[in-house]
Amino acid sequence: MPNQNGSVFGLTILSPIIDDEKATPSHDLQIRKYLATLPTGPESPFAQAPGTHLARLVVMDDVVFVGYPAIEEHLQSKYLVFETNCDADLDEYLSGLAKAVPDHLDAIWSHCVGYPGVANSGAFIEYMKACQLETTLFFAAVNDKSVPVTLRALQTQRAVTDFIADHQGMEPARLQKEFLEFVGKLESEPVPKPGTMGPQRALKTGGRNE
Amino acid sequence: MSKLNGTDIQGFVLRGYNLPFARYVFLHFEDAARARALIGRLLEIITTGQRWDHGKPQRTVNIAFTHRGLAALELPLATLLSFPVEFQQGMKSRATILGDTGINSPECWDELWRENRVHAWVAINGQSIAAIEASTASLRSLIEETAGAVEVGWQDAAAIMDAGKATTREHFGFTDGFGNPDYLGVERSTQPGQGKLMPDGTWAPLATGELLLGYADEAGELPVAPIPHILATNGTFMVYRKLHQNVATFRAYLKEHSGQYGGGEEKLAAKFIGRWRDGTPLELSPEKPDPSIVQDPHRNVNFTYGSDPEGTRCPIGAHVRRVHPRDAFGFNGRLINRRRMTRRGLTYGRPVAQNEPASDREERGVIFMALNASLSRQFEFVQQQWIEYGNDAHQGNDKDMLMGNHGGQGKFVVQGDTTATNPPFICSHLPNFVELRGGDYFFLPSITALGMIAMGLVDPR
Repeated sequence: MPNQNGSVFGLTILSPIIDDEKATPSHDLQIRKYLATLPTGPESPFAQAPGTHLARLVVMDDVVFVGYPAIEEHLQSKYLVFETNCDADLDEYLSGLAKAVPDHLDAIWSHCVGYPGVANSGAFIEYMKACQLETTLFFAAVNDKSVPVTLRALQTQRAVTDFIADHQGMEPARLQKEFLEFVGKLESEPVPKPGTMGPQRALKTGGRNE
Repeated sequence: MSKLNGTDIQGFVLRGYNLPFARYVFLHFEDAARARALIGRLLEIITTGQRWDHGKPQRTVNIAFTHRGLAALELPLATLLSFPVEFQQGMKSRATILGDTGINSPECWDELWRENRVHAWVAINGQSIAAIEASTASLRSLIEETAGAVEVGWQDAAAIMDAGKATTREHFGFTDGFGNPDYLGVERSTQPGQGKLMPDGTWAPLATGELLLGYADEAGELPVAPIPHILATNGTFMVYRKLHQNVATFRAYLKEHSGQYGGGEEKLAAKFIGRWRDGTPLELSPEKPDPSIVQDPHRNVNFTYGSDPEGTRCPIGAHVRRVHPRDAFGFNGRLINRRRMTRRGLTYGRPVAQNEPASDREERGVIFMALNASLSRQFEFVQQQWIEYGNDAHQGNDKDMLMGNHGGQGKFVVQGDTTATNPPFICSHLPNFVELRGGDYFFLPSITALGMIAMGLVDPR
């Protein structure tokens, strides 16, 4: 089934960008400028809204002409591409976004044709769905579990590994006692915030080695 | 693919010399014309890849240049700018990308590498110290005659001896130097397990263009290379890294942790690396070293990890499994065929026997030299993704146990089963067993290209 894999939804949205010769700078440039200032990691608007595994925003200008023997072709419009792997269900995810980061959404999508704004939540969801394309390929590093379940699993994995490293070879009765205490403590811990469980790396290029 | 022209390729590229002594002399050029004259004279003694029909020579000489060195030789700007960007930048500028941070960062390197004075690497390998000294004397007299360069440093290296015989052991006590790949057209006594894994389970040579510029690589493309084509063809890029080994730290860590490990000290040491100290692959002999395997060229590199997906024989994070995953990433090994390198390493510093106290402060380690057509696609990728990050090996953020820049925070998981002598085990608080003390990226030109450089005939038009 397209768009859905377990608890994860693959959402692709193409919103045509307003083509207005009088706009200075043009709407696509205004979107680019705004996107360039958005924080990544735990401060990202998509980390602050619920249910995002991965989100990517791209301004698509046109088809690139690579030279003969290719044929020169053009898109009818510039598009804002929004790709996300998020928790299903879609209506809930979109209304969560609208509620958590309305100013960001309006600042970005107000440059797109027919965008109604987030103030009217129903109209916003309807607009986004009207721009939706079917998605069959998901981001490879996302599994089929929800964001809170994934974060809890990472937290558990890390904590259990540390527990084992600190308790290897311990006498069984004491180990059991300490393990039960550990499990109780772990269960009472809050789920970590999205964006906080990745490696701390000086490199900010997403692993591209150049 | 026809046979390569061994007389045009530097011998260091085509074969591991297996000569027990080496000296790497580092030169700085002050005047382009005089430096070119020196290279012209050096051409008389450079060792090519020609076959050794009359046995191994007493000594060999090879040369390579940093980008700064090529600029000092006044190669045309259009040529200098056509080199891949990572080579133009040099290894020091790539520190963040390579994870060479903290105690591995350039400010902690040896003085020679903190400065930007190294223009050329001249490698002398020899059968004896006398042979090394003789070649050094020839080199120095050529330098003196031409006034072509200033010697800014040198590095001696030597195989660790055992009862008067050279071994391939390194200072932690492991037999090293397995697993260099085969390439199309390179004459070599080939072993099953080298090269690339084919869908039918056999092994075949890698495309020549994974090692040498000017030939098709595994993607059927020509590697990114400088212009003109003839300057690049039959040349390659080399990474030189001086890797200090903290032998005391390694021994103490192993001793402390093996106390809690059911398999014992030697088995834990083997789990770190993926081979027992004598070189027996854990994958083939998980319970004990087996000299019959090590000595058998049909078996000592001939294995895959497909039947050990859980890592209960060879841990998934073991050093050799991470840096040469063979079939471990699926797709018949295709994901790794463009990440292979040819290693030409030798140990330096006084070896310290197992029963002798060791100190981390003594100069001791490995001169790691790797040859590849693309520094960025091959060496830098392996360093960044497989050594300093664990995702491809399904080891999360864990770095390579042996080589990782752990800073005391590292972790390594030994997968196991339910038997008492092969239990699962977690090594935490990993220190840096190996520290980077300097190095750079070099271009190792062909004999033709050396001649063009010497005569000032490099023409990018």
